Amino acid sequence: MMQRHLILEDGTVFQGLGFGAPATTFGEIIFHTAMTGYQEIITDPIYDGQMIVFAMPVIGAAGIHAEAYESVKPTISGMIVHDLAEVSVNRQRRMNLDRFLKQHNIPGLYQVDTRQLIRHLRETGPQKASIVDYADEHAIDQLVATVLTNKQVQNTATPKPYANPGRGRHIVVIDFGLKHGILRMLGDYDANVSVLPYTTTVEEVLTLDPDGIILSTGPGDPRTLPESVLTLIRVLQSKVPMLGIGLGHELFALANDAELMPLSSEHHGMNHPIQEIISRQIFYAMQGQGYAVDANSINRKKLFVTYRDLVDGAVQGLRHREFPAFSVQFFPDAAPGPLEATTVFADFFETVEDYVEHYNQ
Amino acid sequence: MLNITTNNKIKRVLFIGAGSNDFGREAEHDAAIYQVMPELRGHGVEVFLIDENPYALSLESLAATVFWQPLTVENLKKVVHDNNIDTVAPLFGGKSSLRLWAEVVQSWVHGDGPVPNTLGLTIDMLLKVNNIPALTSLMSDNGLPVINNYVLKAQDEANELLRELQLPLMVRALHPNQTNTRHVVDRLDDFEDAIHLAKLQSITQEVIISRAINGLKEVSLEVLRDFRGNKMQIGASEDMDPIGIHTADSLSVSPILTIQDQLISQMRDYAFRIADLLQLQGVMHVQFAVDDDTHKIYIIKVSPYIDQMATRMSLATGYPTMLVAINLAMGVALEDIVLPHNFGNNTAMMEPMMDHVVVKLPVFPFGELAEAGVQVNRQLNSVQKSIGTTLGFGRTFIEALEKAIRSAHFNNASFSPTNMAHINDDELIQQLIHPQDNRVLLLIEAIKRGYEIDELAELTAIDEFYFHQLQHLHKLEEEIESDIDSIRSLRRGKKYGLSDGLLARFWHTDFNIIRTLAKENDINVTYKAVEPSAGEFPENARQYYATYESENESIQINEASVLVIGSGAFRMGDAASGSYATAIAMSELRRLQYPTIIMNNNPSDATLLPHLADKQYLEPLEISDVMRVVELENPKIIVIPGNRRKLIKALRDLGQQVMVLPKEKHTPNGPNENQSEFALNIFYDGQKIYPINLTQHMAGEIRIVPQVAELLHSISQSRIDNPGVYQIIWYQDTIHWLKNVDSSDIGHNSWLRPMPFGQIAYMTKVMQIPWIRLTVRAALNELSKQDIEMLTTVNQLPIVHQLSMVAADVNYQLHLQPSNVIDGTRFEIGVGVNYYER
Amino acid sequence: MPNKEVLDNASLQRALTRITYEIIERNKGGQDLVLVGIKTRGEFLAHRIASRLEQLEGVKIPVMAIDITNFRDDVLNREDSLGLNDEEKTNIANKNIVLIDDVLFTGRTIRAALDALIHIGRPNTIALAVLVDRGHRELPIRADFVGKNIPTAQNEKIKVFVQEIDGRDAVEIVH
Repeated sequence: MMQRHLILEDGTVFQGLGFGAPATTFGEIIFHTAMTGYQEIITDPIYDGQMIVFAMPVIGAAGIHAEAYESVKPTISGMIVHDLAEVSVNRQRRMNLDRFLKQHNIPGLYQVDTRQLIRHLRETGPQKASIVDYADEHAIDQLVATVLTNKQVQNTATPKPYANPGRGRHIVVIDFGLKHGILRMLGDYDANVSVLPYTTTVEEVLTLDPDGIILSTGPGDPRTLPESVLTLIRVLQSKVPMLGIGLGHELFALANDAELMPLSSEHHGMNHPIQEIISRQIFYAMQGQGYAVDANSINRKKLFVTYRDLVDGAVQGLRHREFPAFSVQFFPDAAPGPLEATTVFADFFETVEDYVEHYNQ
Repeated sequence: MLNITTNNKIKRVLFIGAGSNDFGREAEHDAAIYQVMPELRGHGVEVFLIDENPYALSLESLAATVFWQPLTVENLKKVVHDNNIDTVAPLFGGKSSLRLWAEVVQSWVHGDGPVPNTLGLTIDMLLKVNNIPALTSLMSDNGLPVINNYVLKAQDEANELLRELQLPLMVRALHPNQTNTRHVVDRLDDFEDAIHLAKLQSITQEVIISRAINGLKEVSLEVLRDFRGNKMQIGASEDMDPIGIHTADSLSVSPILTIQDQLISQMRDYAFRIADLLQLQGVMHVQFAVDDDTHKIYIIKVSPYIDQMATRMSLATGYPTMLVAINLAMGVALEDIVLPHNFGNNTAMMEPMMDHVVVKLPVFPFGELAEAGVQVNRQLNSVQKSIGTTLGFGRTFIEALEKAIRSAHFNNASFSPTNMAHINDDELIQQLIHPQDNRVLLLIEAIKRGYEIDELAELTAIDEFYFHQLQHLHKLEEEIESDIDSIRSLRRGKKYGLSDGLLARFWHTDFNIIRTLAKENDINVTYKAVEPSAGEFPENARQYYATYESENESIQINEASVLVIGSGAFRMGDAASGSYATAIAMSELRRLQYPTIIMNNNPSDATLLPHLADKQYLEPLEISDVMRVVELENPKIIVIPGNRRKLIKALRDLGQQVMVLPKEKHTPNGPNENQSEFALNIFYDGQKIYPINLTQHMAGEIRIVPQVAELLHSISQSRIDNPGVYQIIWYQDTIHWLKNVDSSDIGHNSWLRPMPFGQIAYMTKVMQIPWIRLTVRAALNELSKQDIEMLTTVNQLPIVHQLSMVAADVNYQLHLQPSNVIDGTRFEIGVGVNYYER
Repeated sequence: MPNKEVLDNASLQRALTRITYEIIERNKGGQDLVLVGIKTRGEFLAHRIASRLEQLEGVKIPVMAIDITNFRDDVLNREDSLGLNDEEKTNIANKNIVLIDDVLFTGRTIRAALDALIHIGRPNTIALAVLVDRGHRELPIRADFVGKNIPTAQNEKIKVFVQEIDGRDAVEIVH
């Protein structure tokens, strides 16, 4: 394995050995503390264009599995780990991490003092980074000059509608960079799913006569999306039960006049206690967020807070005061992550049933 | 929801100690109880403790009223009655305490008054937990995947089951007419024959069929639950060895490395559901069998009490499990738990994450027994054979493994790259299929001989990841061996946890040369904190381990610190007494206000209690490991148990100030069946010898001779190296407890030795004189005037105690199947206490 | 045959949570809201919903309990037996009432409760919330908020267990 380098915008350089593709890439670097689910994490479109540092010391030993993809194609810009586990490719493990990254032209770096790197990043916050062969001045200049894309949703969301048929309720998913876990959960309820691009219109959605609408997860800053998305949400939430997840939650908040703020320290992991305010129950879920809804900006006539992160107090869920519409910041699809949070889907489907019943009467 | 046990109802709590040490019972329960009793006092509760183990640290705690008595139903009932106990806390004493308390509850009669509450469990659930079939059907009724046993008579019933359960199946006879009737059926063709055979072997011609799980992965999760039903996972580990080998005898790894998230999440969900079913307020260990091919999971054991997993995970993650557990039991909600200031604000309710690997290795007694001519069954199976545990911390599996091996063996001689070379290929295959204690070495040997990884994975049912790792290690060692004095090799070797000693062996030189070479080339140790946020938040960590990376986090705590070297894994004859003695010494050092640092690697050891030291290094205890800590901390004094002679010498040679806790290298043999061993016990304060008393040791029991001990002139003039408690030993042919010993016998065929730690623990409790503390004070010139006065007259104290120390009833036959009788003194595992007149 | 659990502790909590959210949705802001629980279990459920509302909105919603065992249409009307004091009675006037019961079956209990409430207090609106709707209505009554619809046979019995008196939360079909 070849010696390669990770350079940060602030000039810090880390040495390691390259794996995956030998490519030179740029991206925003963040750290992840989850100890399971590396495959799901690196294939989750929410990390589009980002470089992920794993706190988990050994990565790769579980292989790559057919049923653990969160998207068809990973679009992270790099992966930094301490120890890369070598495993053979066989019946049980159909693919290994090294080959997988090579196939998708994504570079990885291992034998890095990831604990030092994480302790550094927790102070500086996310910043631009690059995996390069030589950490010279030229490389750093180039990194500083690089402007990272803010078109992550465009990169990852479907441009065309498609269906995932089922025999149950008709659920329209508006795709902002959907992770497969959401479709899997909808499959568990045998939902008849139509996935629409985020550029869809109110008419297109309503023509499909959905029983419920899901605003999907997705990457990046939701404020870069066109205003039409917020209008779409405003109209639809008054007509059909709605669930927003991740980026979908942030958009739901924006559509109802709340504001976003960057988190003082980004949080990517599954160890924070999340409290359901109404019952005081605590549970854990996969979280991946750089922004949070600013609790002070919430118009109490429109929204109220349903879940909170007990570590930093960040808003983790909202509900509309007048409509059967709610949203969660965390990922209730448990792919990866604890199953406790999957009850959000149960709540959604119960709301859908209620709505259908009332509508019929 | 309401509390099971609301705070205001709990006024007087009785802890039930774990009793004598045994297979699977080291000092973890004692350490847990010692830690939580003061915390409970902080809740305004009156605390009581009953235990029989002379080595129990908690029996010397000032936080509780203690009863040092045999753990029997009668004694327990009496303590409950006499002290108006309203709540009993058996969960911290583990399974044996729970069983004893359940027995008491079941024997409770109307006239006994109300049954005290059980801390953390309802009475109903307490009884269920103690009754495995009841617990199994509770889980099964609630849709949890347990292994059900099906009893049937006819072949066609069996065929139905075959379709339902699928292969492999375990078939055995109900009411068997012979001992071993288990057959594992892997192939359809064998099924009918197996049923037929089992029927023949059954008196009633009935057959039990269950799903066979041998060869599956074994996984442990540690979870907790508060009274509101909030649940959290606080640790997880996978065993490298498959089901079929007792988990205590398995090499086990945290975090889980080879299993996918989906399966782990599923297990977590099952564990949470069990915690809810039990309405638990506390911590729980659940063991699973996992088939990662078919994604099938089975629950194989539920332990809603403190066990070795709880202590191991606490050490592995830095999560304060015991403090949280006692709060949960008291009905404090997870979000309301207040921890000491050195923990982060939200530590109690944040799931601990790890950015290091921890490998647990079992320590077996086979070597020591073989030296004494006792052969035992070395084949690992579902009955525990190991007697100790040790942890290795590292940033990679190999580093953690290397350090665990070094911790288990004290030195690299028993882990030489060549010591499996003599074994022939047939034996090798045999041992791959039927593993023994040397399993890791055997696997490396197999790789050396060119066996294919998939072949080995198939033979051993070990995940191929581990073979890739061992292959990597093997290649690394080969490269280092052939690349003498290369700095690059040295750097790689240190990164993967190889000790200076092992590198020195490869390069035929001395560890000091390697140490110097590393230093000259800037290959420096970096200590990393063990803290539960994995770097996400700043914490005031106190636990560290060594690795070779770029950032070091440990800084010298004090100019005048004391470094205490622990005893590592428990061994036979050493047992928990070493843990007791060292922990007491640390407690005394803290009392004398010395900043204290401990180095140790045994998760069940009381020395690793968080409040006994300002800092912990979770490290092997070889000279090179110790010296690296010494160079950073520059301690004023290093405290070491006397049996570590080589280490003591090496440290003294390097100019270190060493304080020895006097101890023999091996535990002495017990007297034979026609003899008694007598001891004149003395204390040496560095200048003067004080007589203490006389003891007689016969048939696994030690009593104090009711006679004033006097010193012969010749003895009072002898010179002893280190302050401490010693004994002058002689043997006499008697099988009666003597009331008088003829002092002219003393000095005749007698010899001097340090009093074994176990006897010091007994003597401390029976006399109420803190002998280890006095030893520490003497060694540090801190004896007070009162101490000296007490010592001068200690032999004149009236002898009123009626308690003897007795060898515990350890089932060597079940665990080890020894070829001849095991000397219970030399190979002691545990001791208890008894009344003279019984 | 053992009882069949149709709602476990967690689902029962979630059902109450959802009912609470829907009450908020329907009564914008919770002004003039009064919860009236039908004794015995309806009263405990009403208190649970009130504490959820308080947890969420920081406001205390008045909770009353009525006992209609002596107020059924098949028994003589005796409003004194409702168990409300005079203050409570006046507090009903012009309020938005949510009537809460554990199980909705024939509708006769609810009808009696409605009669009683209208008779004594002239509330502004009355809505009905039930934990379980088991069908078999004999009157034109339907619930506005339903925790769970559980289709049952006439001869089956539904039993709701609440922590406060039964020591646990669950709904079971009793045989």
